[in-house]
Amino acid sequence: MQQLEIHNFLIRYFLANECEITENGPGYLTVQLTIELDKELMNRPFYWHYLEKTGGIPNPMKLTFITNPQIVPEHIKGETVHFGSPRLHQIFQSTKKLSSYIRLYENHRNGQQQTPLMPWLCMNVKISYQCDRKRDIYKSIGLQLINGQMIEDFHERLQNVQLTPKIPDYSFTLSPLVKPKSGMSRIEHYLKAVINEDDHTWAEEARKRWEQDLRLLDHFYEDVEEENENYETEKKALQDQYEPKINISFINGGLFYLTDNAV
Amino acid sequence: MTVEIEFDSSWQDEFLHRIENDGPWGNWDLFKLAVGVEKHLIIPEFEGLQAPNHLPNLTPLPHQLETAKQVIENMNGKAILADEVGLGKTIEAGLILKEYMIRGLVKKVLILVPASLVTQWAYELNSKFFIPAVSQKKSYVWEQCDVVVSSIDTAKRDPHRDIINKQDYDLIIIDEAHKLKNNKTKNYEFVQNLKKKFCLLLTATPIQNRIGEIFNLVSLLKPGHLGSETAFYDKYKRDARSLNDNEHLKELVNKVMIRNRRADTGIEWTKRHVETIPIEFTPEEKELYQAITDLKSEGDWVQTSAFSVMTLQREACSSREAVFYTLKNMLQKKENPTKEFQDQIQHLISKVEAVSSNSKAEKALELIQKIDDKVIIFTEYRATQMYLQWYLKQNGISSVPFRGGFKRGKKDWMRELFQKHAQVLIATEAGGEGINLQFCNHIINFDLPWNPMRLEQRIGRIHRLGQEKDVMIYNFAIQNTVEEHILKLLYEKIELFEKVIGDLDDILTKLDFGSIEDHLIDIFGQSCSEGEMRIKMENLTSMIDLAKDMQKEDSHAAAGNS
Repeated sequence: MQQLEIHNFLIRYFLANECEITENGPGYLTVQLTIELDKELMNRPFYWHYLEKTGGIPNPMKLTFITNPQIVPEHIKGETVHFGSPRLHQIFQSTKKLSSYIRLYENHRNGQQQTPLMPWLCMNVKISYQCDRKRDIYKSIGLQLINGQMIEDFHERLQNVQLTPKIPDYSFTLSPLVKPKSGMSRIEHYLKAVINEDDHTWAEEARKRWEQDLRLLDHFYEDVEEENENYETEKKALQDQYEPKINISFINGGLFYLTDNAV
Repeated sequence: MTVEIEFDSSWQDEFLHRIENDGPWGNWDLFKLAVGVEKHLIIPEFEGLQAPNHLPNLTPLPHQLETAKQVIENMNGKAILADEVGLGKTIEAGLILKEYMIRGLVKKVLILVPASLVTQWAYELNSKFFIPAVSQKKSYVWEQCDVVVSSIDTAKRDPHRDIINKQDYDLIIIDEAHKLKNNKTKNYEFVQNLKKKFCLLLTATPIQNRIGEIFNLVSLLKPGHLGSETAFYDKYKRDARSLNDNEHLKELVNKVMIRNRRADTGIEWTKRHVETIPIEFTPEEKELYQAITDLKSEGDWVQTSAFSVMTLQREACSSREAVFYTLKNMLQKKENPTKEFQDQIQHLISKVEAVSSNSKAEKALELIQKIDDKVIIFTEYRATQMYLQWYLKQNGISSVPFRGGFKRGKKDWMRELFQKHAQVLIATEAGGEGINLQFCNHIINFDLPWNPMRLEQRIGRIHRLGQEKDVMIYNFAIQNTVEEHILKLLYEKIELFEKVIGDLDDILTKLDFGSIEDHLIDIFGQSCSEGEMRIKMENLTSMIDLAKDMQKEDSHAAAGNS
């Protein structure tokens, strides 16, 4: 992420959370937190607890972030954020946490014409191949819950669709024939099938490394006759180090009600 | 190839729950941001380093990046980092740790370092790498914090030991790991018992003198890499002089060890200027030294080890206080001392009392006044250290003492005092390692250690990355004493200072040479005459020269093949 991207990201994050950006200057921005966001980010539960008990006037914090130390005016004091900074990663986490589940409707322009909206289940996931190394794959899958059509890059396709949290006038949703629960398991099966098709040389190689080190370990302890605790510990350590695993974890997802040819 | 696939179902349960309750639902803009963030954080390849993108304030040097990559990609996260002193092993370790954390392969980390470095490690990981490392001060820290820095001596004690053994660490980093060369020690056993998924051992002196030490270190990291103990000693101990075998061993060791040398880094280093300052005894000092030397030929002292005589000689070259302290101890410790023994000691003590000034201290004072900048004085003896502090104070020069025995906080405090308020830091040997003092560029070696590695450690405190000025090293040696002999052999003949020391440990291993210190004790302690001493010295020198020639041929051969 470049510094400007971070700057824009922060603005979008705070606006989406209904905070006021009080200043937006070169290389910095100042934001007035809402009570909710103060609780989310500032980690001061005692203050809020105290305030709620005493009924005092809440005073959420105002923060200044410096997104580019090179161009920020000298008198501006604030917290420098960059791609590795803990604050930015806290905000990343918060972004994910606050938007794990969603339900939206297409804001179509069909006027007063009665328009049916099709239910889609969307799941955005991260697939991780892990041994002593790791790589990730991002996937966005959409499943139409009436005819069972499945689409990859669903999230990317949604970028061209106008969406709204309230169902638009003169629209009605079609009831899903595929229940969300079985929809999710269809997507799960699909993802597993895609993964199985993939090249897993990495896992084979990791197992080879594992076996190799295990042989060395056996050799090292071959003189020791009785049960050896260290041997067991080392063996477990090798398993943790090398054993290939694949994890599918969720970024977010939800239900989208879309017109016929939206995606 | 089947690999187990773990599917996180917690999301689904919550999702169904929200459908049932009709929300709450997230905000579309945040939703899009979250996907965008994830795409940024995704690591598309097994290879390569992500860490540098996360560290805008750090510009790692090429050899540091290369090392981190090697460790992760070719050594599977288990390595001995054995760069020469001052090349930034901490940075390398930090890069590796950060990379694993970014990739989500490491969460729980234990970092064991000398007590004096605990604060500094925690500080550097936080400030340079944005890793929330905590120095262990309360016992709950082990369980509640993910990245903990502690000294090995604290960690191995109860109740810490039990708590640590219950933690499931992903990465263990051990600094100054050469201290774990002896597999009979408690520290070794403690580290051996730890579960090591990924592990980094940091040391500047990996193969100090003995082949067994490298066996112990490697076996800690990767048991079996050098075979079982019996197999290893069968194979190498007997023909440790056979180069072919050692070549094979070297290759094996290089699979788990990275050693960058100053010369290979391509960095412009500031220079080292070494000046030997010959000093003459005052007549009283000379008399004391002579009285000690004469002991060797006298009866009762034959039983006493040659070592004490030599210790006294070396102390006499440092300060009368050092001699006095040892004499007093000898008298106290001896059970039922004979009358002669007591008389001998008394005789020596009277010689000590006759000494009224310290030639080296006077020279040091003169030099410090001339330098008019920060200076570190190293001495091997605490008594000398205390005397020097007093003496400098008498002459209006502020100084702070530094010792290995200081508690962690005190060391940090002393370093701080030296940087901000005092002109001189007086360190004893044990204080030589574990602090970085690159804001200073003058060292006085008030007396010289017999182990060249230790000397390199001393210089390494200031001649390291971050040193901007040329480094000045002043070696004090009293003429016509054991000290001068050492200086001639070690520090002129071996050209230790001009040539960076790196190769020396290889040389010594090649020859299965034993420690230089043992040789010196033999030469100075067991020789009956000046002539014998000279011949033995020449032998030692030519052995080292021979080893150096072999080293050169090796590198020629290697260059020729490539």
